[in-house]
Amino acid sequence: MKAFMRMAGVAAAALFTQAAAAQDAYVVGVTGAMTGPQAGILAPVVEMAGAYVNHVNGRGGINGKPVRLIVADDQGEPSRAAANAKKLLSQDKVVLLLLTSVSSTYAPVVAEAKRAGVPLYFAGAVCPKETYPPADALQFCSTAFGATLDSQAALAFIGKNSREPVRLGLAAMAIPISRGEIDYAEGLAKKLGMTAVDKAITPPPTPDYTPFATRLKEANPNWMWAWSPWFSQVRTYEAMRRIGWQGRYLSWAHLNAEEELARIKDPEFYVIGTNAFFEDNLPIQAEIRAVAHRGNVKYPVTYLTEGFIVGLVLETALRNTAWPPTPAKVAAAMSKLKVDLKGLRGGPLEWTKDNHFRTRQYYRVWHWDAQKNAVARVQDWQAIDVKQ
Amino acid sequence: MSLPRASGYFRSGYEQDWRLLDTRTQRVAFVAFAVAAVALPFVAGSFLLDLANQVLLAVIGAVALMLLTGYAGQISLGHAGLLAAGAYTTGMLFKEFGAAWWVTAPAAAVVGALLGVIFGLPSLRLRGLYLAVSTLALHFIVIYLGNEYETKRGFSTGVVIDPPISDARAWYAVLWAAAALAVLLALNLLRSKTGRAWHAIRGKEAVAEALGINIPAYKLLAFVVSATMTSVAGCLFAYYRGFVSAEAFSLFLTIQYVAMVIIGGMGSILGAVLGAIFVTLFPYAIEYLVASVPTPVAWANSLFAVNYAAFGLVMILFLLFEPAGLVGIWRRVQNYFLLWPFKRKPLATSP
Amino acid sequence: MQLAVNIVVLASIYALISCGYVLIYRVSRVLSLAHGELMLLGAFGLFTTASLVSGSPILAVAMAAVLAAVIGILVYVLLMRRMTGESVLAAVLVTIALGILVRGLTVLIWSTQERHPLHVLGWSNASLAIADSARISAVGLAFVLVTAAVYGALYIFLRHTQWGIRMRAAGQNPLLAAQRGINLHAIYALAWALATFTAGIAGMLVACDNALDQTMVTIGLKAFPAALVGGLDSLAGALIGSLIVSAAEVLLIHYIDPLLSEVVPFAVLVAMLIVRPWGLFGSREELDRV
Repeated sequence: MKAFMRMAGVAAAALFTQAAAAQDAYVVGVTGAMTGPQAGILAPVVEMAGAYVNHVNGRGGINGKPVRLIVADDQGEPSRAAANAKKLLSQDKVVLLLLTSVSSTYAPVVAEAKRAGVPLYFAGAVCPKETYPPADALQFCSTAFGATLDSQAALAFIGKNSREPVRLGLAAMAIPISRGEIDYAEGLAKKLGMTAVDKAITPPPTPDYTPFATRLKEANPNWMWAWSPWFSQVRTYEAMRRIGWQGRYLSWAHLNAEEELARIKDPEFYVIGTNAFFEDNLPIQAEIRAVAHRGNVKYPVTYLTEGFIVGLVLETALRNTAWPPTPAKVAAAMSKLKVDLKGLRGGPLEWTKDNHFRTRQYYRVWHWDAQKNAVARVQDWQAIDVKQ
Repeated sequence: MSLPRASGYFRSGYEQDWRLLDTRTQRVAFVAFAVAAVALPFVAGSFLLDLANQVLLAVIGAVALMLLTGYAGQISLGHAGLLAAGAYTTGMLFKEFGAAWWVTAPAAAVVGALLGVIFGLPSLRLRGLYLAVSTLALHFIVIYLGNEYETKRGFSTGVVIDPPISDARAWYAVLWAAAALAVLLALNLLRSKTGRAWHAIRGKEAVAEALGINIPAYKLLAFVVSATMTSVAGCLFAYYRGFVSAEAFSLFLTIQYVAMVIIGGMGSILGAVLGAIFVTLFPYAIEYLVASVPTPVAWANSLFAVNYAAFGLVMILFLLFEPAGLVGIWRRVQNYFLLWPFKRKPLATSP
Repeated sequence: MQLAVNIVVLASIYALISCGYVLIYRVSRVLSLAHGELMLLGAFGLFTTASLVSGSPILAVAMAAVLAAVIGILVYVLLMRRMTGESVLAAVLVTIALGILVRGLTVLIWSTQERHPLHVLGWSNASLAIADSARISAVGLAFVLVTAAVYGALYIFLRHTQWGIRMRAAGQNPLLAAQRGINLHAIYALAWALATFTAGIAGMLVACDNALDQTMVTIGLKAFPAALVGGLDSLAGALIGSLIVSAAEVLLIHYIDPLLSEVVPFAVLVAMLIVRPWGLFGSREELDRV
């Protein structure tokens, strides 16, 4: 118990001394799901962004000042995220707050950031409606996926690539954000003259996806569209294949999509996404590899594009913020931002005064090419203008 | 409620037995504590204040669970479900009717009381772990209903509520009042007929029945009181955080509350309070400790997993080596000073 | 037909997981809430052994299985042994804390990345036709066979071997058993070893059928209603309970609404607890006597 009292003493001392530390850097805070069930697709983004920040600091920082990235783990829990946000905003006095966590943490963190007047940047987490035009003044998002736009692009691809009438099956996971998108896709399919035959909503973890797959298979779709966390999309697909379903399956390209296509090796399994795959072999991707290696990021390099984009956005936004930085200056810089992504996406990432999502979203579609025995592109960048 | 100690300190009248603070030292300590509590918001930063508010919220829930589990002996794993029920009642009334807090708080209490009856019904037939699991089942049902509401109404990132007060200091005062009320209510219940009936039921049901205690009624009462308090805590949580969502009330939250009760020390309101403080602050303490040890950059990404594992490890060590809970430590410290300079063991330990 | 196959496969998954709950509960009246984490650990064990001995998958599976049993013994010797005699709730809380520790350690050692042990073993999850209209995955079939083997072996063990009979005796009356010279600590350690072994096997199979990540933990909890419906201290009950719960789940997913699958097992459970609080086959708790 004595040891504990000493621990508490150290903790208390740390609480008070840290607040007094002088601000001689661009201080940026992150609350992210670094552990917990959803960490697999969120933690790599934060780790890579951190590695990029180290890389920038190694080159002498931004405007002559280093960037200090303070990461707090919220385990995907709303209460912890709120407490993290409070700590980062009030104690560390961050000029920009990043959120890389599950959607249930949004409401409390948004409230905290708004109260403190600090811009909030959704990095690697689903973009909320408030970042779409007309955007909230303080919320920004660079994450690849975007609700409604993804389904528009996906159904456009399906429509273009099928000769016979589309009988569309839909799969979602039992979290509000995924269900909302799939409901939207169901309505959109009707408008496009497709038949939405059935939708299956799977619980977050389930030991066996076959019962859901059986239901979907019996509705006999020739195309499937799934928009949910990767494991939910792929487990449903695998279970459907195993009970003998023959159709084509389109799902969202999460961080691990490139690796997974090579594992699954099914030409009829497609992924749609906005981040270039490493099959492109762009010069910038060699840089991602180098930065990740130096930062000791333990995830496969194909997972890291999203985090690298976060780093690029951070660098540009802070460079446009003259020293000494204030949250208002950062928000102003972010409201007219143009980041050259050097081929990682179909075009530059652009934020304007009332569009904090991006002015144009570009989609590619990939699958496994059995002849070439490699991941192959089936559709090159297709742009959708993001309007109100 | 203070218990007679082994120091040779005796009471000589019922009035003394009824007092909540019965020695001068206790009164002095209480005043000092009150002064510290009032002073805190003026010295602490907003992060510390947030932690204090979290602790106060946890105290209400932990006291409620302590009444049910620590005193009436009914194990419940539906605590997060009850918090969620209070929070959702608040969220729904706010969203659908724009109701103010003086509507939602009583409504949450009513919903909590009703759910208390439902959660309590299995206790008339079930005991121990079976009872625990039946309350767990109800937890899942509450969460399912909440999730359905969120999705049907399109609140994909949770139900956002405008709190009537937003200043952290004002919240501190409100939560203090609520927590003090909860503790006082619990203490008063426990030194009345109800509390004694619960004690008897926890000791041995058959004996309690033979003593003329209406077992079903008192068991249900325990569930209703506990559920009502918990549900109101859920309502406060909803307002404090400004949102409600199903993911905020996971099973892990229940586990945290059960941990508060056990780590604090079963059968003691002080234990519930200490447990609430410990379990709420512990992860932050670990984080600070791990962060204050200099680590090479290469390990920086592993720190979060270390924090997580350390929480489990310390909890295990605590349960293994201090089964009487924080209250056990507290009593030992008290006895140490009461018996000073003699180091001998007290003649009888308090129950 | 496909539905019947689905029910059988899901029931074997639930049954294989829930027999661990039953084994521990019937000897020590403790409910292990670290079961999902022990499944996770077993599956990571397979992932590691598969990466180590890439040549022979059979050896890797055998090593992982032994490892799982050893972990069970360690859990008892280092942890649960000290909780003998403490309140049941405290013991349950220790298992919860153990779960948190294991989750943290797995992230620390294996990171949060999704893993595919089956892929590492070099096998693939083939789809087998068993009738015109029904198919089963290879791992699904393995699930059914392994569950049948485990339950068969446990039946023989508990009925016809000395240690099995001792274990039943310890479960029925620990005090009497101890006084008759049965080494209770050895019995408890054996129960933990068996429970962790079956949990590990279940974890490996789930990881092979789906994938290996932290969501495994919640799957352990999903088998919980199955164990309770049958009665927490009866293996036959766990089997029948698994069948009932999985039948209800599969049929509701198919004919009514997939969303119900999360609530249904617990609704079945509540219904059962109201009618027969001790479960279908569980032994009735003793009456209170003064």
